[in-house]
Amino acid sequence: MIEVKDLVRQFKSGDRTIKPVNGVSFELGKGALASIVGKSGSGKSTLLSLLGALDKPTSGDVVVDGISLAGLPDSKLTEYRRRDIGFVFQQFKLIENLSAVDNVMLPMEFAGVRKSARAQRARDLLEQVQLDPEKHSRRINRLSGGEQQRVAIARALANEPKLILADEPTGNLDEQTGEHIIELLSSLSRNHNTTILVVTHDRSLARKADRRFRLLQGQLSEEVTAGT
Amino acid sequence: MSVLARSVGNAFRNKIRTAAVVAVLAVAIGLALSMLVANQAVSAKVQELNASVGTVLTVNPAGGQGFEGGGEPLTAAEAATAAAVSNVDSVVGTKALRLRTETTTSDTTGTAAGAAQPGGGGPGGQTASVTTSLTAAIDAGTLGNRNNAGNTTTGTGTGQVRTFALPITATGIGAEVDTAGKTLDITSGTGLGNYAAATTKALVGTTLAEKNHLKVGSTFTIAAKAFTVAGIFDAGTTFGNNAVYLTLPEAQALAETPGELSSMVVTVNSMENVDAAKTALQAVLGTGKADVTQGQRNLATAVSSLNSVKGISLVAYIAALATAGLIILLIMVMLVRERRREIGVLKAIGARNRTIGLQFVLEALVLVALGSVVGAAIAWFASGGIASALISSNSTTGATAQRGSGGFGGGFGGGFGGQGGPFGGATQLLTSVTASASPGVIAAGIAAVFAVAVVGALVPALLTARIRPIEVLRGE
Repeated sequence: MIEVKDLVRQFKSGDRTIKPVNGVSFELGKGALASIVGKSGSGKSTLLSLLGALDKPTSGDVVVDGISLAGLPDSKLTEYRRRDIGFVFQQFKLIENLSAVDNVMLPMEFAGVRKSARAQRARDLLEQVQLDPEKHSRRINRLSGGEQQRVAIARALANEPKLILADEPTGNLDEQTGEHIIELLSSLSRNHNTTILVVTHDRSLARKADRRFRLLQGQLSEEVTAGT
Repeated sequence: MSVLARSVGNAFRNKIRTAAVVAVLAVAIGLALSMLVANQAVSAKVQELNASVGTVLTVNPAGGQGFEGGGEPLTAAEAATAAAVSNVDSVVGTKALRLRTETTTSDTTGTAAGAAQPGGGGPGGQTASVTTSLTAAIDAGTLGNRNNAGNTTTGTGTGQVRTFALPITATGIGAEVDTAGKTLDITSGTGLGNYAAATTKALVGTTLAEKNHLKVGSTFTIAAKAFTVAGIFDAGTTFGNNAVYLTLPEAQALAETPGELSSMVVTVNSMENVDAAKTALQAVLGTGKADVTQGQRNLATAVSSLNSVKGISLVAYIAALATAGLIILLIMVMLVRERRREIGVLKAIGARNRTIGLQFVLEALVLVALGSVVGAAIAWFASGGIASALISSNSTTGATAQRGSGGFGGGFGGGFGGQGGPFGGATQLLTSVTASASPGVIAAGIAAVFAVAVVGALVPALLTARIRPIEVLRGE
């Protein structure tokens, strides 16, 4: 479903050239749950940005369902993000003056979903991530960090994307809620054929993944698990 | 939540800042609307003046005017000559008659009732007295009896005593205008239709109609001939409403002076050409044949000053509009810069550039709508004073502002007279300029504000298209 070919992203920093992603290649099939671990600054977030078409690679390509992202104009990349990608950002990136349910409805609004349908689905998703119904209409800045994280996950699921890119999705959650989110992501990959790529420091989440990668100095290597 | 709802919500995100922005916008919009009201009021006044005496010249027989003086009557041929003069828009001939009530005609001359009396009304055969069934709406009073004492015969040897009554003025006109060239204000009924043909239809002044219990369709007689009231007009003065208008050929026939004119009302195409047209008319008609006069010599100066006010108010209106646009532009640029992170997030989750741009334009329009409401209120209270101040600054005399009882703005009356001032001599015409604007004018003003706001908001909205989500997200 997703094929990453010799992906390189480099930046200039003064006289130095930095390559947070340096020749990364891998493939993920539909419904796969994969994790990437690595130290801070190892290029994990940059790699997610490239896969989610938020950034353009210096070289290499990402091919999704046979379509090369490298050749797409900005408008098509926006459509790709809207239709096929669900992001869970490390710092939530929610719209603070909107309510939880309004935040979850945003991607559906951009996709042209009817207002009544998107309101109902937004509430369903917030229930799935175990956000107290009383807090559905509460403004984001009046929710705790963990609650905001759950809203961010619900927003990522809004348009039933093919690929969910999650940057530390359980980082701000208590153990119990974190477990629930891991279960939710696992069931999505199993039951809805949703491909999920998670960047995490959470060993338990990483262990749940079908495939585990390690990013070190821009280079990706797959950890071979017992039994594979 | 729709784009509109989100825009409205964003407009009130920071209430203190929104209040400040709305206040600044309201001042600019209020000033723009006040200037528009002033501009419209002055424009209307200039138009009114130009449409009446401002560009009108009166041609009388040399040595004669109305029922006074002497000389030779004007003719239709001279009207044609006058019409050929350059810058002359139109020439309307008039024929004046004096109507005397039938019951008062048993005078010492013994003239038969109903017969025309050429020369009876004044020297040179300028007017003709004929009888009528109408009774004048004005009592002679002290002034009438004093003015007509020389013409009244009482206690003659025959034993007939003449009871004096004021005559009624009947004027034959070649178009639907009064003797000053102003379009007749017909309050009921219709005009006379073809003013170039003889007809037994007549227009009657309001007070004369009331005095004689006349309505549209009623009949009365002039020289024993029945006339039907086609319409009733309001001249705006008691004297002016004690009058009858007939078609020019009909009046000439009643006076038994076909082709003769009592005067000509000449309309010039613009204020600037009045002096040149007057000189040219005097030249072609001859100084011994006709006197050409201008109603208000100083009107050109007055109108020139009003035009100056009009120009200033227009410039101020445009400047205030531009200021409103600039305020919107700067505010929205600030908001776009402030919300770069949010714009980046919206793009990251699939928002199109046009959706985000529209959101900012709508937010700007919400601010402008609020500013327009407050600005309209400011204009309501301030337009009269602002317009008054504008006029004061363009004349050597002050203008007293007074707010009207209804509608937008009010009046700013008086102040145009004064010896040596630019309006000197035109006081009677420029007694007041009323700063009142129709809802259409205000709606047009607000529409212009919105148009400028859209332009002002488009620039920052387009700036949002240049924000790349990764730059914003990476920046954190």
